[in-house]
Amino acid sequence: MTGGIFLQAVISGLSVGAVYGLVGLGFTLVWSLTRVLALAHGDVVVASVLMGVLVVIGRTPVASSPGVGHSVLLVVLTLAAGVVLAVLSYAVAVRPFLDRSRRSNDVLGWVAGTVTAGLVIRTALALALPAAAYAVPDALHLDQLTTSGVVDLPGGATVTVRSFAVFGVAVVVALATDWFIRASRAGRGMRAIAEDVDAATMCGVNVERLVIAAFALAGLLAAIAALLDAPAHSVAVDSGALLGLTGAAAALLGRLGSPRGAVVGGLALGVAQQLIATSSHLGAAWASAFPLAVLVTVVAVRPGGLRSGRQVVVE
Amino acid sequence: MNTFANDLYLLVAAFGLALPVSYAGLPVLGQGAFVAVGAFGTLMLAVHGVPLLVAVLCASAMAAIAGYVLGFATTRLAGASLALGTWGVAWLAYVVLVQFPSVSGGSQGRTHTTPARLVSPSLGVVVTLHAWVHVLAAAVICAALAFVLWRGGRGPWGLDWAALRTGPVLADSLGVPVQRRRRALLAASAALGAVGGAGTALLAGVAAPADYSPLLSLQLFVAVLIGGTATWWGPAIGVGLLAAVPSAADGLANAFSIDPLRARGVLTAVLLVAALAAREPVTRLLQRVVASLPGHSFRVGGPLLPDQGVAGAYRSARGEQRGPTDANEGGVLLALTGVAVRYAGVQALAGVDIDLRAGEVHALVGPNGSGKSTVLRVASGVLTPAAGRVSINDRPVPAPGAAARRVVAGVARTLQRTALLGTLPTATQCAIGARAQDREPFLGVRHLVATPVARDAQRRRDAITAGALELTGLTGESDLAADRLDSASQRLLQIARAVATGAPAVLLDEPAAGMSAGQRRRLVGTLRSLTDSGRGVLLVEHDMSLIGQVADRVTVLDAGRVIASGTYAEIQRDPAVRRAYLGEVLDADAQEPAHS
Repeated sequence: MTGGIFLQAVISGLSVGAVYGLVGLGFTLVWSLTRVLALAHGDVVVASVLMGVLVVIGRTPVASSPGVGHSVLLVVLTLAAGVVLAVLSYAVAVRPFLDRSRRSNDVLGWVAGTVTAGLVIRTALALALPAAAYAVPDALHLDQLTTSGVVDLPGGATVTVRSFAVFGVAVVVALATDWFIRASRAGRGMRAIAEDVDAATMCGVNVERLVIAAFALAGLLAAIAALLDAPAHSVAVDSGALLGLTGAAAALLGRLGSPRGAVVGGLALGVAQQLIATSSHLGAAWASAFPLAVLVTVVAVRPGGLRSGRQVVVE
Repeated sequence: MNTFANDLYLLVAAFGLALPVSYAGLPVLGQGAFVAVGAFGTLMLAVHGVPLLVAVLCASAMAAIAGYVLGFATTRLAGASLALGTWGVAWLAYVVLVQFPSVSGGSQGRTHTTPARLVSPSLGVVVTLHAWVHVLAAAVICAALAFVLWRGGRGPWGLDWAALRTGPVLADSLGVPVQRRRRALLAASAALGAVGGAGTALLAGVAAPADYSPLLSLQLFVAVLIGGTATWWGPAIGVGLLAAVPSAADGLANAFSIDPLRARGVLTAVLLVAALAAREPVTRLLQRVVASLPGHSFRVGGPLLPDQGVAGAYRSARGEQRGPTDANEGGVLLALTGVAVRYAGVQALAGVDIDLRAGEVHALVGPNGSGKSTVLRVASGVLTPAAGRVSINDRPVPAPGAAARRVVAGVARTLQRTALLGTLPTATQCAIGARAQDREPFLGVRHLVATPVARDAQRRRDAITAGALELTGLTGESDLAADRLDSASQRLLQIARAVATGAPAVLLDEPAAGMSAGQRRRLVGTLRSLTDSGRGVLLVEHDMSLIGQVADRVTVLDAGRVIASGTYAEIQRDPAVRRAYLGEVLDADAQEPAHS
């Protein structure tokens, strides 16, 4: 692997990884408030952008560069769809299985509920969008930052200018989310719930409202991730489950419950995956199995995530 | 015929999945991966000339090992990590099959000649596996599994599974080796999944990646959920419904001109939603229907004492009971020597010596935060002390570990908060405790064929249960669901469960919390009968009048140190105790006259 190829893999890995990080951020947020793993989260990501495409462009897969009006519409619709789907999946698939303090109670219940929600979203989407995969236009026009759309790297390799933009936007969004959780009133409430839900209730934190807000925020992040990621390749209707599990792997790598950890985990995962993909020994097949292997390994070795200490048996 | 055989093989996988999901309450989403291991493993080995039966066994063993390894660390975090891990495995297996043609044989899959032949040169037997042979083989396996679930669910296994399902932490404190049982169930489940997979692959003569997508894992999960909790017939109903999916999906696909695979997804989603919505009500309805049939009882562990009076059984069993009667009167049951514990910066215990003798109530008192509960945690093995030694019956405890091993060694404990094993009947909860007294190996297997040893063990458990209920005055409530007992009876049930384990040292953490004066009198009676039976009680309690009535010895802790030890009267006079409880100011006042 030459230096140029290596640099290319790292840059495109950071771009892909930033998207994983946003997905993992939503995943970890939901976990820390409710101790529920949002197994439908990946389907929310894919469904949000495809619902936007369905309304703006239609059912036939066409590659087009939309005008300003359509771009704005696509962005707004996607963000709205992400929020609505995430909140809906909470109301229908998670809420019935939580106890009074909004904590995971009936594990079999919410596991079945969330995988069902994912399957329902996937199937409904497949019925509405019959083609195997859809090209999604770049509503943010990140590819038009330079005239050629690519940047030359030393050593002869090139990388799309989108990669830098996607990485930049995703990191800014992640930092904003981190600031929101740390500094805003609602974010403080969320952290209080994550620490001790009973104590938070006694301090007057409206748990139900903030849990819904957390799901909405996760949905918003999912939609942003979809807007950033989808134009890079065509989007298959049922690719969401895999993306969701990759996000979960990112969240686990950075310790479940840690927003910054999820983003760092996503970046590490993305870079490693791209390096594997460009490696002459391993290649694309290994790269596609890699995040899942990481997920299964981390779950088996450290159920709470890689950076967590030893699990303490809770009475 | 072929479809029916295929459905029966899926039922084998579903029966396997029912063990962890519906009996032990674990969310396992990866059964499809183990089915794939069975299918592809068998065909790969067969290509290399391995005899078919050996190939099936090897593939199943591979799956079992995978299941066991997966279960090793993923059964914590209240099962959430298991859901994520198994869902990850389901997708990993699928991605590997799709991306690595060297494993799966490409999108066309691996093939085998049909009908397959079982050839045994040494026996000179050749069996051709026609479709009807498959049906027969699968039906025999299914019947055997249904029997194992039905019969096993009523014996020692059923008690352990019920404990795993309703309260893993509590089960541990009652002597059920939770992690070991879970791993065993996951391994068995994976092996059965692989058997089912091998069957489907040999039947069709082909295994293609598309047939082992995560949708299969979801479908099997649904099939098991539909039947509800811990029912042997549940998977059969579930797979029966699933079997209708392909033909119904084709009809749907034709009617609305959609992709048949999509239509299957739609129907699976509908079934999942229906299963979720109807989970509780349908289980209750079906159980009522089955229970109304003659000769059926839904109590886990079988009917309690069919032909004997409870008290009579207790008397007749007293001679057989181990545990307290083995301990010599007045011998040291439990001793903590120089035990020190630090919680993040706080010295919870600093060199504490405490012992408990047979036949005494040893009360542990002290202000909040003095380390009373920490002593119980160390003694019961939940907490590892930074320094010091714990010995049980004069034998040092080996490496600290699960509380379950402590129970078998002779120390049982109740929790400070009221903890119930779900809605299991009072008697069943005690019978789970009584499991700790079973020493015979393979009791679950022996129960399946009702050997004399298993029957004796069952009688012994029933007698122990009856005795524990009598001791705590809960005999009249033995059939009641535990959540319908009043709070005092629930506190007493905790003691009854600990007593049933047969551990001579019983550690009680604030048993009188929330009890009225009358209920406390009942508790005093229970504690007296405990010591009369040769047990020792280490009692953490705030109610001084209760301690005055029952305690033979009182040890006072303050800030992690023993500041006094003696009879109740001695303790009352001790200046150090008065200082700890009443504070320095009063103490200074009290000492004033001595100086003047």
